[in-house]
Amino acid sequence: MADLAVTIGGLAMRTPIMLASGTVGYGPEYEGIIDFEAVGALVMKTVTLEPRSGNRPPRLRETSGGLLNAIGLENVGLETFLDEKLPEAAALDVPLVASVAAATPSEFAELTREVARHDAVQAVELNISCPNVDRPRRPLWADPIGVHETVAAARAETDKTVLLKLSPNAADVLSVAEAGERAGADALVVANTLPAMRIDVVERKPALGNITGGLSGAALLPVNLSLVWRVCETVSIPIVGSGGISTVTEALEYLMAGATAFQLGTVLFTDPGAPRTIAEDLVRRMENDGATATAHYTGLARREKAKCKETVAAD
Amino acid sequence: MLKSKRNVAPGSFLFTLDAGPDLPEPSPGQFVSVAAPPELTLRRPFSVAGARGPGIIELLVEVRGRATRALAESPEGSHLDVFGPLGTGFGYPPRGGTAVLVAGGIGVAGLRMLAEKLAREARPALILVGARSRGRLLTDLLPSSQKQGARLEVATDDGSEGFHGPVTGLLETRLDGLDDSTRVYCCGPKAMIRETARLAAGHGLACEALLEEVMACGVGACRGCVVETREGYRAVCSDGPVFDAADLVFEGEPRG
Repeated sequence: MADLAVTIGGLAMRTPIMLASGTVGYGPEYEGIIDFEAVGALVMKTVTLEPRSGNRPPRLRETSGGLLNAIGLENVGLETFLDEKLPEAAALDVPLVASVAAATPSEFAELTREVARHDAVQAVELNISCPNVDRPRRPLWADPIGVHETVAAARAETDKTVLLKLSPNAADVLSVAEAGERAGADALVVANTLPAMRIDVVERKPALGNITGGLSGAALLPVNLSLVWRVCETVSIPIVGSGGISTVTEALEYLMAGATAFQLGTVLFTDPGAPRTIAEDLVRRMENDGATATAHYTGLARREKAKCKETVAAD
Repeated sequence: MLKSKRNVAPGSFLFTLDAGPDLPEPSPGQFVSVAAPPELTLRRPFSVAGARGPGIIELLVEVRGRATRALAESPEGSHLDVFGPLGTGFGYPPRGGTAVLVAGGIGVAGLRMLAEKLAREARPALILVGARSRGRLLTDLLPSSQKQGARLEVATDDGSEGFHGPVTGLLETRLDGLDDSTRVYCCGPKAMIRETARLAAGHGLACEALLEEVMACGVGACRGCVVETREGYRAVCSDGPVFDAADLVFEGEPRG
């Protein structure tokens, strides 16, 4: 019997399919539209200590093979999140992951403590990788020392599962991944959107109000897949693949690269039925392959791993 | 399923869809989102331009880009992936009040269900329709029977029919003498909506505007389609697509 269930740290999921933060709101927006039975966990919209109104529009721009967004972490803030959004989402039949973002390690710690206290929150995802909130020369997502402090601070506040969401835009993503692991993250989400832009030549200005946005969708798949491959060589905690998955084949690519679970995001805008379709296709695939668990596929494409390492050593 | 398709103006088609009996009944101003060809990512929102019984809806499709071109080329009988109805539609004019409907170009789509409802109930309505030229006027799609209480007037940018100038120019000549139970409804290009809102406010009239934005989720989850209002950013897909025009903050305006 093919069983889709996977566990990451203490986060028990009935399928390896997670819904990516920012694409499903707080959850109830998609009640009756997405089949939550096919979903292992729903990562809620990132919450910050104070409410944020988000970036000036336009916030969306379609591009070949994908989507640019610059929402800017619009959210209700911690207080309303805890008082209203979380209780509403808790009524849904799906495990919840709270996503948090902040400017300092102590704020990350405060947010983690406040959200993780609630029974409805099964895990916390640290969003260090939103490309749309500011444009520092040295963003946190590229700074292994800052990431270590952030994860350690959050880790100290909860025994629940802590996921760290990496950016595909860090030159030295492996050091960031290692820092996250060393600081106690239970798993890495690889990865967020990639900074990108388009220009409206008629209006002679950037297509997005924020100038740049994050690229998601099909075009991002090969980029983030290669990161999963590399990060899996470096850390031993589970990896959650994310970026451009719209079919079971693409989900299997992430698993075979080394991921334990994967997130769906932009595909939900194209087809909110995708989680159900992918879950069914995955079961069929497992039955064909005689696989009883999705762990069968994790790292399956890495048979030449030793050879890869030799090549690296020879370099 | 695309039951039928009728060319109503150059590059514009009236689709009649059978979306199945599970489709909830749409109300005037609501929209559906239609899946684009597989090489595109986002679904496209279309105002419900008519409801013709359980699951039967009409959409007005104007060719603007790749998605709408592919849609317009869909043969009758082909399957379309339709999701909805979505959003919050129009309020209704108070008893005895006149409804003034202002449509620019393809904006007829957003107001057509309201116009038909008003006509069915023989409520007084003044319907103003603007287009670039005579051949693009979508007046045939609207009720115009005098005995149903509706009056329909047109404006063309090139003067080939009716008022010569923008439909808001025509609106300006019709607003005097309307009492404050009048309600103005508009749908069309942003500049037209902005001017309609300004004129209505100047005459102390309530005005509802149906807005269009690029959308991703369609259900208020992603916060991608926001517009600025006096209460902050609001999602066109779920807080709208119909807004009280007095709440809208247009580009370059202070929030007030």
